[in-house]
Amino acid sequence: MIRLKGVTKTFDGKTTVHALRGIDLHIPAGQIFGIIGQSGAGKSTLIRCINMLEKPDQGQVWVDGVLMNELPPAELRQERKKIGMIFQHFNLLSSRTVAGNIAFPLEIAGAKRSTIESTVNELLALVGLEDKANAYPAQLSGGQKQRVGIARALATKPRILLCDEATSALDPETTKSVLQLLKTINQELGLTIVLITHEMTVIQEICDTVAVLEDGVVQEWGPVVQVFTRPKAESTKRMIRGSISTQIPQELMGSEKTLLKLSFVGQLAHEPVISQMIRKYSVDANILFGKIDQMKDIPFGMLLVELSGSPEHIQDAIHFLQAQDVELEVLS
Amino acid sequence: MLWQATVETLTMVGISTVVASVLGLPLGLLLACTDQGHILENSFVNKVLGAVINVGRSIPFIILMVAIIPFTRLIAGTSIGTKAAIVPLTVAAVPFVARLVESAIKEIDSGVVEAALSMGASPWQIIAKVLIPEALPALVLALTLTAVNLIGYSAMAGAVGGGGLGDLAIRFGYQRFRGDIMLQTVAILVVLVQAVQMLGDWIARQLYKR
Ligand SMILES: Nc1ncnc2c1ncn2[C@@H]1O[C@H](COP(=O)(O)OP(=O)(O)OP(=O)(O)O)[C@@H](O)[C@H]1O
Ligand SMILES: [Mg+2]
Repeated sequence: MIRLKGVTKTFDGKTTVHALRGIDLHIPAGQIFGIIGQSGAGKSTLIRCINMLEKPDQGQVWVDGVLMNELPPAELRQERKKIGMIFQHFNLLSSRTVAGNIAFPLEIAGAKRSTIESTVNELLALVGLEDKANAYPAQLSGGQKQRVGIARALATKPRILLCDEATSALDPETTKSVLQLLKTINQELGLTIVLITHEMTVIQEICDTVAVLEDGVVQEWGPVVQVFTRPKAESTKRMIRGSISTQIPQELMGSEKTLLKLSFVGQLAHEPVISQMIRKYSVDANILFGKIDQMKDIPFGMLLVELSGSPEHIQDAIHFLQAQDVELEVLS
Repeated sequence: MLWQATVETLTMVGISTVVASVLGLPLGLLLACTDQGHILENSFVNKVLGAVINVGRSIPFIILMVAIIPFTRLIAGTSIGTKAAIVPLTVAAVPFVARLVESAIKEIDSGVVEAALSMGASPWQIIAKVLIPEALPALVLALTLTAVNLIGYSAMAGAVGGGGLGDLAIRFGYQRFRGDIMLQTVAILVVLVQAVQMLGDWIARQLYKR
């Protein structure tokens, strides 16, 4: 659906900033594709290169078989109508009502009056804002504004939706409901969604695939569960450590006992592996910390366990866990 | 006499405000849109236009009035009287309007323009459907300010034979020592300015949706 080849972008100002340094990515149709990175990593620049709001210095951007880079203005505008975009700060027209904002892209595209009216009503229903049709953006909450943004982005029936930190200005509850809406759109309309964020929870909640961006370079990418449970890049590991924040007290780290960090993915999260281990090998397990989470629809658990027993037994127990396909890290 | 002078002042201010708006609005839009990073970025046009407008704005009105007499005669057919005064008033107001329009347009959040671009809007569509509607309250206030300024300038034009309240105040109030007439013209000017300002504020408030 979207393919980036060797995309670079440098900003020349007082200081030269290499915002993107050779991005290669393939975003398959129908996916929710997340791009995560810290502030300044180049996320916004990257997503803006997809619809040419930012022109790459080098490299190619292919969207649905069209090379976007060198399109003449009129054709580029035509292509942009097939790509919806939503923004962190919503960017609604303050002088238009909710219905007027949703009608805007249709007016731009030269749609007929009757078409505009029916499409606007459909979209108002889709985002659950029928009763706000005549309200102005200033009278809406952040979550409602983003719903208008989403409805507006969908008005021209695009195949792709780009989301630039779409939930970063919202509280956690509202974030959840907006993400839920995006998921629905992805499933029911079959839209390909590209979203960028600095929050792991957003990726975990709805993304199929994630790319980790740092310093204008994609550090790694793949299925969310794989990247988050078996991170390879240093920046991914840092991010995960930050988000799970298993700050282990010093005194525990220093103890003689063996400290393990276990991750369970998918079906395994339902299996009683720890009790099986205790029963099979004569070791004791003391659970220090645990949580279970969901990545999109896949359960994902994490346990911090302290093992005590004879060294051989502990070795056997570790082998057992590894044989069960538990992701395991020995901390001390 | 006072009534006639008031009508003359209103005519001068009214016509020059309208004409200056019609000429100044596109110039202001062009100035804003050719700025760096905007939809019609063009630093050559921007710099040249900016310089011309600055020259226009830096000439004192009294001097401008005299300097463009040939031009005034060409347009109005005469260089004295109310009709003639409209020409220099308009010429003085155009660059003023252009700058006010420019700053009103630049006040608009660039994100809104970006959203329109992402939908495939053309520069024209952005000007007509985003920039002007979003800046409308500010544009109304800009025109109000222009009209108020022109009331002041028109009194100056009156002092050199342009007719209107300024003319009356100088000829009767000052030269013939009629303090009462002086006072009355000043009072009318004050009321005019207040009325224009209040009207402008009211319209802007009605348009303001933020
Ligand atoms: N128009 C610009 N001119 C100059 N530098 C820019 C411009 N846009 C972005 N940059 C620089 O490029 C780098 C990447 O910016 P970008 O906005 O893509 O980061 P980001 O990952 O989206 O960060 P954030 O999470 O803060 O939005 C930053 O160092 C930024 O300062
Ligand atoms: Mg950003």
